[in-house]
Amino acid sequence: QVPVLQTNNGPGLTGLMTIAAHLVRQARKDQLLGNTAEEKAVVQQWLEYRVTRVNGGSSKEDTRTILKDLNIHLEDKVYLAGNIFTLADILMYYGLHRVMVDLTVQEKEKYLNVSRWFNHIQHYPGVRQHLSNVVFIKNRLYTNAH
Amino acid sequence: MGFGDLKSAAGLRVLNDFLADKSYIEGYVPSQADIAVFEAITAPPPADLLHALRWYNHIKSYEKQKASLPGIKKALGKYGPADVEDTTGAATDSKDDDDIDLFGSDDEEESEEAKKLREERLAQYESKKSKKPAVVAKSSILLDVKPWDDETDMAKLEECVRSIQADGLVWGSSKLVPVGYGIKKLQIQCVVEDDKVGTDMLEERITAFEDYVQSMDVAAFNKI
Repeated sequence: QVPVLQTNNGPGLTGLMTIAAHLVRQARKDQLLGNTAEEKAVVQQWLEYRVTRVNGGSSKEDTRTILKDLNIHLEDKVYLAGNIFTLADILMYYGLHRVMVDLTVQEKEKYLNVSRWFNHIQHYPGVRQHLSNVVFIKNRLYTNAH
Repeated sequence: MGFGDLKSAAGLRVLNDFLADKSYIEGYVPSQADIAVFEAITAPPPADLLHALRWYNHIKSYEKQKASLPGIKKALGKYGPADVEDTTGAATDSKDDDDIDLFGSDDEEESEEAKKLREERLAQYESKKSKKPAVVAKSSILLDVKPWDDETDMAKLEECVRSIQADGLVWGSSKLVPVGYGIKKLQIQCVVEDDKVGTDMLEERITAFEDYVQSMDVAAFNKI
């Protein structure tokens, strides 16, 4: 199901990414799309990824690939675009919520960076809304603290 | 609390471990807590400490705004994992000085002020010494958690067990052991501080998950 935005003035718009980006610009929050050319490109990359790869029909195999890709990408980054919070983080969060809810403790540990990122984004003001809070417990192996 | 000596490799490892599942030192936004720890680190963490490095580069990007970040800078010993001993000392805010100079001040003569300072330091040393935790009695326990039947969702059962949190309780590794008829029991390790957590309490809390857990047994109990 592809979302459509009907406006009073101007053309109707189709597509999640398109509508979201349009609303961001309308709200004058352009920084959510990235500041530099590089950032904008990375945001676009992950929006495209979200729309083409992360959808309800993903097989378990596809889901594993997605989580692996994200885990590697997020190893050295706090947000998908690096140091700034963008639309990519928001749409990826919503897209992945259903997946994250069903992960086991072991899987959350395995995709540690995705878990860290997801936990961060769900605490960002205004993002979580009506979605459930996914719990992340750190499974700490016993260390002798001296 | 605290990370130990952040100028040492060991301290950076503690920081790295702490940051594995966190974006910031405290909460979910950059704050003075991050600045306090950032300023205690002399150089970017090595590449193998990837969580610390990720955090370091991220906080560095806030260099220009650091004065306006929320919160108040506290002593380093106030941040970090709860189970690490605070080695920074209450009164010192710069050098990590474990050896407190017992014999007092820089002045040659024992002035009234110097004497007071010396006495204060002595008292601090005494209290710090007495607060050093004695070796805490710990035990390693292996628990067998049995489900109702072979249809019970073992992943959920494990999640329920691991969700039990208590002071002095740390969950370890686990595995599923078949017991026959397709039923598997969850064998899970934990380490407890004897004073704080007992097997009765664990049994009570585990069997409280009546939907998944039929019973719990102690398979092995070893003193550490």
